[in-house]
Amino acid sequence: MVLCGISIAGFTLSVFCDVVTRELGRPWLWLQLVTTGFFAWGVFIGMAAATRRIDHLNLVEITKRLRGAKRSLLEITNRLVILLVGLAMLVFGTQNCLNDLGSFRAPSLIPLATYTASVPIAGALIVLFAIEQIVNGWRHGFEGPEDADDFAGIAK
Amino acid sequence: MSNGAILLLMTALFLGFGYMGVPVAFALMAGVLVACGLTPISMQSMVGQMFHGIDSEILLAVPFFLLVGELMTSADVTNRMIRLAQTMVGHLRGGLAQVVTLFSMFFAGISGSSTADVAVLSRTVAPEMTREGYDRAFTSALIACASTMANLIPPSIMAVVYGATGNVSIGGLFLAGIVPGVLIGIGLMIYSHLFGPAGLRKPRASLCEFADASRASLLPLMIPLIIMGGILTGWFTPTEAGMVASVYILVVLVPLLARGHIRHLPRDFVYTGLLYSIPLALVAAASAFGWMLAYLRGPDIVAGWIELVAGHDGRIIMFLLVVLFIVIGDFMDAVPAIIIFMPIVIKLNELGDINSLHMGVVLITTLVFGLITPPYGLSLLVASKFVGVAFTRAMLASLPIYVVFLATIAFTVLAPSVVLYLPKLFLPESVGCFKNPSGTGYICPK
Repeated sequence: MVLCGISIAGFTLSVFCDVVTRELGRPWLWLQLVTTGFFAWGVFIGMAAATRRIDHLNLVEITKRLRGAKRSLLEITNRLVILLVGLAMLVFGTQNCLNDLGSFRAPSLIPLATYTASVPIAGALIVLFAIEQIVNGWRHGFEGPEDADDFAGIAK
Repeated sequence: MSNGAILLLMTALFLGFGYMGVPVAFALMAGVLVACGLTPISMQSMVGQMFHGIDSEILLAVPFFLLVGELMTSADVTNRMIRLAQTMVGHLRGGLAQVVTLFSMFFAGISGSSTADVAVLSRTVAPEMTREGYDRAFTSALIACASTMANLIPPSIMAVVYGATGNVSIGGLFLAGIVPGVLIGIGLMIYSHLFGPAGLRKPRASLCEFADASRASLLPLMIPLIIMGGILTGWFTPTEAGMVASVYILVVLVPLLARGHIRHLPRDFVYTGLLYSIPLALVAAASAFGWMLAYLRGPDIVAGWIELVAGHDGRIIMFLLVVLFIVIGDFMDAVPAIIIFMPIVIKLNELGDINSLHMGVVLITTLVFGLITPPYGLSLLVASKFVGVAFTRAMLASLPIYVVFLATIAFTVLAPSVVLYLPKLFLPESVGCFKNPSGTGYICPK
């Protein structure tokens, strides 16, 4: 969560400096790369954080209406789908990142891998959080007080 | 396996997982990864597509407009605008209902997020409406309907996403959204006046009270001017305009109007950091889904069906797309819907020789309607939760208000000259006009 805050503060500052230096007639072109870097890392780390906080958007909240074994079965299946997608992001994202070590972004020639590394790292975190939720849910059940307030995370 | 069968399987998996409760972004990716196993496309390239989907400078505007809304809401600066709305329309029949609509129009010019609007109104005006005897179901339905204007009146996050994926002028979409946004506002005010609860009649505010409220709201109401002024004069891109508005709030509004809020600013940044990643994670996954859809020739299949019914008639094509997007908007969020179906929309634009900006504003207006229709009416869900009424009751109360939205959509389709008047006036290139070689004025397509 804190990393998400740092990311948005970072790219607010870098876009601000970008506009100011451009208006002064001395643009720092590398600032755009810093901006997109903060942005991409913020999106993927935020994706992982939202997975842990169960803040992602859902089509329906069907699981919260269920209880007992049915609920556990569905919750575990859902976490397994998330885990498999996270695993794909980790494995294939790592392959992409390794390939991108040889690609560079103009004008400052930063390796593209510094951006694309956000995908496998988010994937690794998603896998960890999915496993954490499955284990915790298995031990203590999936029902919790948040069931009554499922939109609290969306809009405070 | 044929392309059509893979397409159906991929879509069925997405909807199946989605309705089982898997978050939308993961349900989309699960469908794509299974489709990869049945096609020569590698999973590596689809995971790469997730990154490329968000690797766009234009999409940076999304977090800035969310940050503006969050800062304004949490610093409680919005109370001043509610007070201004009260002095303007509080004395009318159903005064507080009119205040909800008018405030939403003001707030829509500042924030691009309907959810932020719902949160503000549910915390401030809704309890007062309950005290005055308004039915809670009506209150939540009206708040949800009014909040949809945030996605039409600029700045609009849907317009940013549509412009970024469809290569359409975002400034043009912002301007084109004003007419349907204001029409919905006027429609809601007429509906509340004629059919809504009467509420308590209050005396008309004096000129002094109105002047005081206007003065107090002057600084917050500068934000729409900064955003649209910066874009229209060519000083800023939409992204930079969002940043300038955020900096204006941080440097001017918070120190002058809500000094005590300064210590809470880190919390606002952390919260917005998480908030913006949720729709953009959807953008990442939907862009992979949209890519696979295009690879499987989904746009050709759908365009073929639509061509069969509509031929090359642009207006009928638009109406068929409106029907399609009303159905889509009932079942999924607008952001992935825009990205997934963009290849189909582009194909149909060519088929019916439709102006891409006109199509954009029609589809955004249609998707906005999806925010209040079941089962995935996000604004209505959130409003009913906050106001404390069953979703079904809120939905029943909103049913008659659907007429306002359907009439606005029909007007947007049938009156392109009115809807595109502002973009044509201020950003002629956005509607396909080009400079006259003789040097005076623009030549525009009919």
